[in-house]
Amino acid sequence: MTDTGSGVPPPEEFRAEARRWLASVAAPRADAAAWGTGTDSVAVFENWSPEEEREHTDRIRGWERLRYDSGWGALAFSPDVGGRGLPGHYEHLYRSEEAAFEVPRRTEVFPVTQQLIAPAIAIWGTPEQQTRWLPPMLRTDELACQLFSETEAGSDLASVRTRAARDGDGWRLSGHKVWTSGARVATWGAAVCRTDPDVPKHAGITVFLVRMDAPGVTIRPIRQMTGGESFNEVYLDDVVVPDGDRLGPVGQGWRVTQTILAAERLDSGTLGLDNAAAALELAAHLDRPLSGAERDRAAQLFVRTVVQRALGLRVTATLAAGRQPGPEASVGKLHATRTLRETTDLVAELLGPQLTADTGAWGTFAWTEHLLGAPGYSIAGGTDEIQRTILAERVLGLPREPARGAAS
Amino acid sequence: MSTIAVRAEAGDAGADRRAEAAGPEAMRRRGIDVDPALLTLTSEQEELRGIVADFVAELSGPDDVRRHAAFPGGYDPALWRRLARELGLAGIAIPAEYGGAGGSFTDLAVVLQEAGRGLLCAPLLSTVVLATSALLASGDERTCRQYLPGIADGSVVATLAGTAGRAGSSDTGARREAAGWRVDGTYDFVLHGATADVVLLPAQTEEGLGLFAVDGNAPGLARSARTVLDPTRPQAALRLADVPATLVGPPDEGAAIVDLALDIGRAALAAEQVGAVEHALHACVAFVSHRHQFGRPIGSFQAVKHRLADLLVELEGARSAARYAAACVDAAPAELPVAASVAHVACSEALELAAREYVQLHGGIGFTWEHPAHLYVRRARADAVLFGTIGRHRARLAALIGIGGRELEGDAARD
Repeated sequence: MTDTGSGVPPPEEFRAEARRWLASVAAPRADAAAWGTGTDSVAVFENWSPEEEREHTDRIRGWERLRYDSGWGALAFSPDVGGRGLPGHYEHLYRSEEAAFEVPRRTEVFPVTQQLIAPAIAIWGTPEQQTRWLPPMLRTDELACQLFSETEAGSDLASVRTRAARDGDGWRLSGHKVWTSGARVATWGAAVCRTDPDVPKHAGITVFLVRMDAPGVTIRPIRQMTGGESFNEVYLDDVVVPDGDRLGPVGQGWRVTQTILAAERLDSGTLGLDNAAAALELAAHLDRPLSGAERDRAAQLFVRTVVQRALGLRVTATLAAGRQPGPEASVGKLHATRTLRETTDLVAELLGPQLTADTGAWGTFAWTEHLLGAPGYSIAGGTDEIQRTILAERVLGLPREPARGAAS
Repeated sequence: MSTIAVRAEAGDAGADRRAEAAGPEAMRRRGIDVDPALLTLTSEQEELRGIVADFVAELSGPDDVRRHAAFPGGYDPALWRRLARELGLAGIAIPAEYGGAGGSFTDLAVVLQEAGRGLLCAPLLSTVVLATSALLASGDERTCRQYLPGIADGSVVATLAGTAGRAGSSDTGARREAAGWRVDGTYDFVLHGATADVVLLPAQTEEGLGLFAVDGNAPGLARSARTVLDPTRPQAALRLADVPATLVGPPDEGAAIVDLALDIGRAALAAEQVGAVEHALHACVAFVSHRHQFGRPIGSFQAVKHRLADLLVELEGARSAARYAAACVDAAPAELPVAASVAHVACSEALELAAREYVQLHGGIGFTWEHPAHLYVRRARADAVLFGTIGRHRARLAALIGIGGRELEGDAARD
């Protein structure tokens, strides 16, 4: 591959090379001819047993390892940890090519490991931590989950109560975390802990990477409203963590947390697009003409998907120009959660009673998984309301609520 | 469609691949295939934006806008000449061979966004977008040479009639006589129609729909300015009785030319709308940050700040749709019909929301005649129906992506 002198291949050449490699290891994605056959799953959160979760995780892992070993993983990371040192948007370029091939669809713990935790380690980790953690995480040999929310610290995440107390050269962690996806398959959990209860709440926080198989870690599944168990609660009962597994300085954990949450917002831009496209396919393949109202709703959903894709391309373009994305990135999650809702609205209109009782017909009752899963993303990763407050205060610069934070 | 192909080939080398990729199934599933770099401004465009923004802020403030709208043609001719000659805005996207700067449509879109922000009264949409696009799409070199240099230097104001669908034109007909073409018919809702130096209009010929150029002062042309909802964008009704006219392009290409000019018009309108949304949002943020009630700025109340956050989400969506449509004019003509309709729906809805919030979040002062908010309400509602209503664009999109519905293409001209 020729390059521009800085070791960075031109985008078109990079994409062509990616296509060639993908074609040599994967089959092209099945097209419209496949409508009505194959899987009709549109689950937002998978309903898997622990065995199934392990099995699927291993299959995805197999693909991610091949990618990493072939030089197509960890594109934006430094060569020291197995990366290519390419600009951030090359990952988006690669993904847009990968979308045309049949490869395992990544479950949430994979982007959490590769797009959220690993970049935070690259920013906040010591050289030793980067050497120790990044290669196995980027190769997905070791997955990482988020130990963030607690029952009393949801939207107000900075009020976490999980305690980390010094004990000799290390720390002892005690507390109760909720809504952790991937806890059963993860090697590491990034835990937001309180190390100093006597300072203002944002200043007393430190982040640790906890081994999920350490003594004192107990994982219990949470059954969500879809009926499945995609999340867990994690009990930390006097868990010993060496100081070498602390990520970032003591008392600076809120900034580390913000790094991870910002990456989470950025990563949610494409959320809901696959299912919106599937709903439009349903509209196109219905065995009767659409009513005016149905056609309107479908066209409106199509408008949303085009706008959401264009928003995503603007983020890519901004990164490509070497600039930090602005509002176009922070509005992505709110845009995506509305796409999820309007997909449900369209499908309900199209399917009518077939959405309420399983007739066995392909691609009908399966949509209940979307209907019941979609509300989750308006809560996870910062509720829609928290997202609006972030936009209003940090992007638009509106005045803060006067009373907030006064009690802490 | 030969004339359209001329423009498509001028786009880029990837056009063939994209035309293939833009079938109904592909559009439905993937929606977009443009170079992401076209969706962000270049440093030259940022610079251009700053120059135009300064100009608009200095010479087209809220009070100026009312004064300019009261001119007989709905704009200040002296100001327009300065915009055209000093800043070169009228000819920015006109090819150099016709006296323009040879820039891209995305360059023009930058100008339009700033014009839209300040509701600049100027024949941009009518002359620089619609008439210019129709002339270029016609491939008629002689007519292009006749009018485009004058458009580029601000000395010719032109417009395109027959853009308002079924209600817009009736009983049109053109016949060839020894001395040339004669046109009959009525056309309504014609932008800057009462004062334009030249009017382009589609009329029925024996071969099909043709596009014709008519002199603004031609004998037999009666023009009456309409009282309009949006005073910054005047409209007129035209009645033609045996008016001498020049055929522009082949006599059966009128529908295709008008269709393309309309889609480019929608992309242009979308850029203007983004600027107007941005103005409304910034005005609201400034107001609610300083206006105190209950002893605190009203912008600190969540009920207020969440509404503005929602408006920001709509603004960024609208900006993305508008940039995508503009990029398609330059580089992906096969995707333009979809992109233009998507942009029209997204940007019209965003501006309607912005105008609503502009009034509501300013409370009583926002409902007064003196406050500029109502000018944006007028602009928002007028824009949303100017080149086809939101509902008709949804129907068009449904047809374009293969889920039923009805094509809009051509019916502006053929109805």
